[in-house]
Amino acid sequence: MEVLLFGLIAEKAGVDRLTVDASTMQELRNALADRIPDLGGLSHAIAVDRCIVHDNRPLTGSEEIAVLPPFAGG
Amino acid sequence: MSSEKTHKVKDIFVEGSIDPAFIATSITKHATRTDIGAHEIFLGQVRSDIIDGSNVVAIEYTAYRDMALERMTAIREGAFAQWPSMTCLHVHHSLGNVQAGELCFMVFASAPHRVAAREAVAWVVDRIKAELPIFGREVLSDATHVWKTNA
Repeated sequence: MEVLLFGLIAEKAGVDRLTVDASTMQELRNALADRIPDLGGLSHAIAVDRCIVHDNRPLTGSEEIAVLPPFAGG
Repeated sequence: MSSEKTHKVKDIFVEGSIDPAFIATSITKHATRTDIGAHEIFLGQVRSDIIDGSNVVAIEYTAYRDMALERMTAIREGAFAQWPSMTCLHVHHSLGNVQAGELCFMVFASAPHRVAAREAVAWVVDRIKAELPIFGREVLSDATHVWKTNA
């Protein structure tokens, strides 16, 4: 599945999108940690289909996934 | 709440800073709405904070546009639900480069009376800052940068 990266997260990864394989949120988090340096030390949230999720839900692979650093609007 | 006020997904984003002349024009456009008795406008301006001895000279804004517009639509609906007398609500936020001293954010509410407009603007500004996935790269005078984070 394709993962969109933004702001500081994209800067650390060196790209603004990644392709990973994951069938649950936990697998997704593990895959992202392998691909994005220092992700564990960076404040971030994961959005699935444009809503932030915190659980370990299953993923079909068709979702729109995004990794979001802290917001700075205004 | 009338659906025509809320149901459309409006694009709030503008490239670069918000021109004060645009805001003046926006005010002028309300002259025909003689049921309005109060306008409340919040304007955000890029502040030249000093970070580790360097000044912020600009902020480069990016956004997760689709999610931001979905969240904004929900916030707009929430505002009209809480302040149903509100006549209209206009929101604009910059993307790209905005220099220190330039405007980057506008929330403009109009209502028959001042309390609804005032309360709605304060609520909408706080919700946008907390919920919209907008990111700000603060460019410093020594050519380094830091990433802005809303408290």
